[in-house]
Amino acid sequence: MQIPWRAAPRAALSSPLTLLVSLVTALLLSFVVAAAVLHSGASGSAAIAYHADRLCAESLRPNLESKIRHAQVLSALDDLKSTLGDQPMLPAFYTAEARTDFGGRPTYAKFGYRPGATDHLKVLEGGGKDGLWVPKSIAVTTDLQLGKRGMGGVLPPVTAVYEDVRDPLDPWWCSERQYVVPNPISARLDSVTAVVWMPTAESFAALPPAVTAQASVTVRFPGPVPQTVDEADALVSAGTARLEKYRAQGVRVNSPLTLPVDNARETVGNVRSAILPLALISLLIGLAGVATVTAQWAQRRHAELWLLWVRGSGPAALGGRALLELGLPLVAGGALGLVAARLLLPVYAPSTALPPGSAGNAVLAVLVVVALSLVIVWSTTALRAHRAFQKAATGSRARRVLTALPWELVTAGLAVWSWFRVRDSGFSATTQIGGLPRIDAAALAFPLLVVLTAALLAARLARWALKASHRAALWRRPAAQLAIRRLAAAAGPVTGVLLVGVLAIGTIAVGSGIAGSQQTALADKSGIYTGAESTVRLVDKVELPPELRGNSTVVGMAQVEENIALVVDPDTFNDGAYGEDIDRALLAQPLRIGDAPRGEVSMPGLPRFDPRAHLPSFPKLGTAGWVVPIDQVPDEDGVGSWYVWSAKPLGELTTALAAHDIRYRNSIERTKAVSGLPFLTIQWTFGFVTAVGVVLAVVAAIALLLAIEVRRRQNAVSGAFSTRMGLRPAALLSSHLLELGALAVAAVVVGLAASTAGSRIAVPRLDPAPRLAPGTEVPNMAPLFTATVVGSALVVLVAAWIAVRAVRTARIGELIRG
Amino acid sequence: MAEHVLRLHGVGVEYRTPAGVVTAVSEVSLDVPAHGITVLAGPSGSGKSTLLRVLSLVERPTRGGVELRGTGTARLSSGARRALRRTEIALVFQNPADNLVAHLTVGDNLRAAAQAAGRTTTPDELLDQLGLPGTAAWKVNALSGGQQQRLAFGCALARGASVVLADEPTSQLDSRSADLVLETLADLARRAVPVVVASHDPRLIALADTRYDLRNGALAA
Repeated sequence: MQIPWRAAPRAALSSPLTLLVSLVTALLLSFVVAAAVLHSGASGSAAIAYHADRLCAESLRPNLESKIRHAQVLSALDDLKSTLGDQPMLPAFYTAEARTDFGGRPTYAKFGYRPGATDHLKVLEGGGKDGLWVPKSIAVTTDLQLGKRGMGGVLPPVTAVYEDVRDPLDPWWCSERQYVVPNPISARLDSVTAVVWMPTAESFAALPPAVTAQASVTVRFPGPVPQTVDEADALVSAGTARLEKYRAQGVRVNSPLTLPVDNARETVGNVRSAILPLALISLLIGLAGVATVTAQWAQRRHAELWLLWVRGSGPAALGGRALLELGLPLVAGGALGLVAARLLLPVYAPSTALPPGSAGNAVLAVLVVVALSLVIVWSTTALRAHRAFQKAATGSRARRVLTALPWELVTAGLAVWSWFRVRDSGFSATTQIGGLPRIDAAALAFPLLVVLTAALLAARLARWALKASHRAALWRRPAAQLAIRRLAAAAGPVTGVLLVGVLAIGTIAVGSGIAGSQQTALADKSGIYTGAESTVRLVDKVELPPELRGNSTVVGMAQVEENIALVVDPDTFNDGAYGEDIDRALLAQPLRIGDAPRGEVSMPGLPRFDPRAHLPSFPKLGTAGWVVPIDQVPDEDGVGSWYVWSAKPLGELTTALAAHDIRYRNSIERTKAVSGLPFLTIQWTFGFVTAVGVVLAVVAAIALLLAIEVRRRQNAVSGAFSTRMGLRPAALLSSHLLELGALAVAAVVVGLAASTAGSRIAVPRLDPAPRLAPGTEVPNMAPLFTATVVGSALVVLVAAWIAVRAVRTARIGELIRG
Repeated sequence: MAEHVLRLHGVGVEYRTPAGVVTAVSEVSLDVPAHGITVLAGPSGSGKSTLLRVLSLVERPTRGGVELRGTGTARLSSGARRALRRTEIALVFQNPADNLVAHLTVGDNLRAAAQAAGRTTTPDELLDQLGLPGTAAWKVNALSGGQQQRLAFGCALARGASVVLADEPTSQLDSRSADLVLETLADLARRAVPVVVASHDPRLIALADTRYDLRNGALAA
């Protein structure tokens, strides 16, 4: 290799700025691409984590549920052990409810055996592990004493009384909910059906026939929670294969992760296809940045390239010369971008668990991007050399064509097409029971296309305006005139910075707006759906215990088919209900909610009422129903059902109720009431959009600062010339502030306007659960707008300071150099 | 050895500009002898530099042809013309800095020039001959303008080119530095290296063995 090529990597050190810009450009480019790959992979893991959180940890793997004859219990246990070998396994056996006699008042009880059950119960009395463990509810009902032997002495002695298991359940009990949580209003309203735990499988097997017709068997497989889609898939496959023998025998095999795995895969596909357009746009911008850096490099190395050309080097060799000088910073930047994408995963991605192969794919994507960057460097230099040295210089036809093409019309057309997809998007149509709604990636692209169209349009209008700006004669305001001339003289970089600036601001605003709207919608819809943070249905209407006063309310519900009327206590309703407080005066009269028919209403258990007041929506009712104040209900017992609505978490609510022996059922938590995955998918997608917007904003800011630094000498010469002609330093500063401020204001105004328009049109349609009130709305964007304005102002101030400093610190030699 | 190293036959050069077609050189025919200094003299804008680019095979004429050592170049591909430039032609520019690779040392500049022509050189020996002894390890910007221009001719020597072409080699130098360049040119002529110089410097024109005067892109009568 000849010396100029061999020395090229070291020559890069002669221009630290070019080195830095190349490195940062490649860093941002590879960050975006690697982050896109990692983000979409992580979204699958987040979907799995979301489902795993809503399911029971011990029943995530395929598991068994069956009924067997009680006599088969021990043989079934042996068969399980021999079939499943060393596989960690947690079997449980339950008898059906049966009348049981513990010597006192007869009661109904279930007997159960689950290895380790006594380790996960709260002992109230006793604690010996060689006898029966009886729940408090039964102990109280039957006035049970420790040491008593039930069923005429057939049962082992009672050695412990434990506190009933209640919602929210300890994870160890989660999978056994239907068996272990006392049912306070089973067929025997005077009793409960909690489990009496036997000390061993043998003792369970030895239960007398009077209480053992059939036994319910559950076999769960505890183990680590899968972190990724592939891990979950592997668990499902392995578990299904392991239990195939039992399936063939007609035993029910539950596989709760099967649908989540499908959903997670669908989520990955949705997120990937939704972020793909933006990633491609960012890739193109990044590659254009690499081409610009190369063009500036070629301009700076023009003399050397010309010398090498004259000495017989061709375009390809000169491209290689560029590659050898700029290649290393590009490769280093690519590597740093990859590392940054991995390290910042917790910041921008919904999960830090990456499926196997994700990191490899990210490396591959970065390699492709770095390779593309290197090709761009080589081809840009080779083409410039060909055009400048080999072919008569007639200007680039391709460039003229590219500039003249109405790209904004193309993107506007795509935006219109995308709008039709938004309008018809079937967010509410699920593909299968429990499955995800169809999420149309093209529809999600609509707000981004609006921003892109606005950015391109702004860039074209700016170019036209700058072209025509020579007509502006504002010499009475020299600062303004100089600002216009400077902008016009740098029309290319100015429109480039404007384009990226609008795109950055618009992307951040769209991303934050839509992600925020989904987050708020999920919270509000869940809140409206449940009515409160947590709710339980009371067996009997009771007064609230002291712990729940001030944070809960009792609500009655009368229902005929889909028509619902709530009975509320105006004094306490706002304490427990979800959402903003409702005027107490409104609650003190019958209310018609949303689309409910006007006129007199008759509901079972309620007096006829004629609501005159109206509210558009109401907790639990959504947008249809009625509300009656409790003081207008003469017979509270006639109301269909009563609930406690609480602003407290479910655990606190049930603890308080249990402490006062208040019987309840049907506990619901707001956070788990509505499947949030569709909301989260859109939120994750636009979260990434925001991250890319931040990267673009950094690009725009650096490009602006670099553009100022690159034309340092022009600024110095013109500034020195102007000040010697009498321009005051303050006027010079205001001139630069005007120049850069105009650019920033244009970027901020167009970016925010386009993003606001796009978001406001799209958000109401991007509602994964339109049947649940309230609809999706753009959240308050004022803080973001303020931050954008402040950030832009800071960049402008720094850039203006750099420009003015160039004038103040310019050396004489710099000013007089030819 | 051919009697003429370069010959032009009816060469014309035109440029398309937004204002229309501009004729830079019209119907120039001349011969460059295989020895001595040939000077293309004329005022600024007379077409000297354009003609030099045509002679150095950097630019294709709009009309006419260029012969290098008796071989026509009109039908040669760009690659073939580059190959000829690599081995047969050395071009020295007006601005001394443009003739050298700024980030290389003086010695490496000579080596690089030789390598481009597929040759090797001994920088110290050549630098002694150029009157720049002990500068091989220097950065080129440590040399004065005149020294840089001498080094540029040294690069031409290192390349072993059939002909050295120089465009206004003294125009950006002070008189003392220009003297150094004139000495170098005379030295090249003594070494039987044909030199073509475009210049309006009277002292350089006085060195000419062959002289062509250009006026408005054409040879003066």
